[in-house]
Amino acid sequence: MRETTKTIVLTGVKAPNAAITIENIIKGAEDRNDIIFMISPGSETGIDAIAKKYGYHMEINADGKNIGARFAPVSKAMKEIDVTGDTCPGPAITVGNHLSSMTAGDRVKVKSGCSDSIEDIAMAVKAAGSKVVETGNEDGKHFLIAEKAIKAAAQAGAPVEKDKLLIVQSNGIGNAERAYATFIFSKVALSMGKTVTIFLLMDGSSIARKGTAAGVKHPAFERLDKMMDDVIKAGAKIYVCELSAQFRGIKSTDLVPGAKLAGAATYLELLSDPSYTIANF
Amino acid sequence: MSYESEGKELKELLGLKGSPVAVKLAKTVADVPAGIPKMSEKTRHCQFVQNARLKGVKGYATREEHQCKGGAGVMGIETLPQAVASGDMYYKLGNFKTAEGALETVTAMPKSTENYYASIYAPLEAGGFEPDVVVVVVNPKQALRITQAYLHATGGRVSSDYSGIQSICADAVIAVKERNVPNMTFGCNGSRKNSGIADDEVIIGIPPKSLASIVEALKTFKEKWG
Repeated sequence: MRETTKTIVLTGVKAPNAAITIENIIKGAEDRNDIIFMISPGSETGIDAIAKKYGYHMEINADGKNIGARFAPVSKAMKEIDVTGDTCPGPAITVGNHLSSMTAGDRVKVKSGCSDSIEDIAMAVKAAGSKVVETGNEDGKHFLIAEKAIKAAAQAGAPVEKDKLLIVQSNGIGNAERAYATFIFSKVALSMGKTVTIFLLMDGSSIARKGTAAGVKHPAFERLDKMMDDVIKAGAKIYVCELSAQFRGIKSTDLVPGAKLAGAATYLELLSDPSYTIANF
Repeated sequence: MSYESEGKELKELLGLKGSPVAVKLAKTVADVPAGIPKMSEKTRHCQFVQNARLKGVKGYATREEHQCKGGAGVMGIETLPQAVASGDMYYKLGNFKTAEGALETVTAMPKSTENYYASIYAPLEAGGFEPDVVVVVVNPKQALRITQAYLHATGGRVSSDYSGIQSICADAVIAVKERNVPNMTFGCNGSRKNSGIADDEVIIGIPPKSLASIVEALKTFKEKWG
């Protein structure tokens, strides 16, 4: 386990002196832990080259007044996983889970016999705020190398970060494919580090009634109620439209654990929150 | 190599006027090494350094013994006075043309990120404790040799930053303790006027871990250059 990140304040030190000082600090460091250098805007010249030279990954976070340049050592041992044969959403979830347990600068190599699968994983990696640093072919398989990055804080005036997913489900188990898609997409989004909220309304509200989802089982997938339980346990919020529930005689005590009734205001608030990407099923 | 022998060798190899000074910051009274007395007089941090360097005085100074509150403030021994933290004092003293310039400078000044009970001083060769920083007061040629010695093993360049205020406290102690790399400073009005830092002297803070390689390089230079 890495020790606590050290912060060294170099604000006011101009370029190129900031870079010279940082190089001497890195060169003389007795251990390879994360270090954050606080520097003034304009002083960052040349420090990316120092990070590269000494095997660190560098991320810049700016708050407008000062810059935090985080140096995270690139791990020498790179994890390797092979997802050949796995079908969607398996590979994206596997890689997402790996990334979430990694430290900034760590890399993972993902191999697959399917190039489409690698492309899909690349999308998931980028969406999670990390980077794809290399792609290619090796031993008859496609691969990518993903590097865990530190997500930069959004700055004022910057485009809104779409790091939340709102899934609106209005079809219920009458359309099993859409019902399954609700929870499969939730699982993938959760593995990508996104916040997931599911809003069940109209026929969709019945999915959260105890026992209803247990009656849905596709041969290729888990039973629907188990899949719903998995995403709740993984942190997804499930709201059930109060009006739709009332219309169908569903009371709060009829709902599966983890689901709760919510009014129109909650729904409208979620729809108007720009940080949400909305998917309808 | 012990600090005792490193201290003696530094003096001899560089031809120092006084001793290198071991400076340590203690979080509690229990962290003050045994045998180190409390300073008997109230004075400034830079004067404590000079007393250790030139008179061999060793001791520790709590906030009560620190006369210069700016120095004690940047070292985390007490709260930095508002007049210093705001830049007002240095603006009024005439160091800066504008209050904004004064504020920018004091904001960038190295400050301890932790609070301390006391600062401890001793000649390096006689301290008997693990210092946080070793402060040397040297002439430009001795500063050159230290720079060359620091770069001797792995090369590169040296960078020092200072602002002409709070030099021996912020630049030579705190900057070095926080960064673990040497820093040279030209002193400040206080240290020049009150503590007897001579016109032809500069101050360098050295991390203790760099001492052994510096001493070794100085020996090599002595053999090669005399």
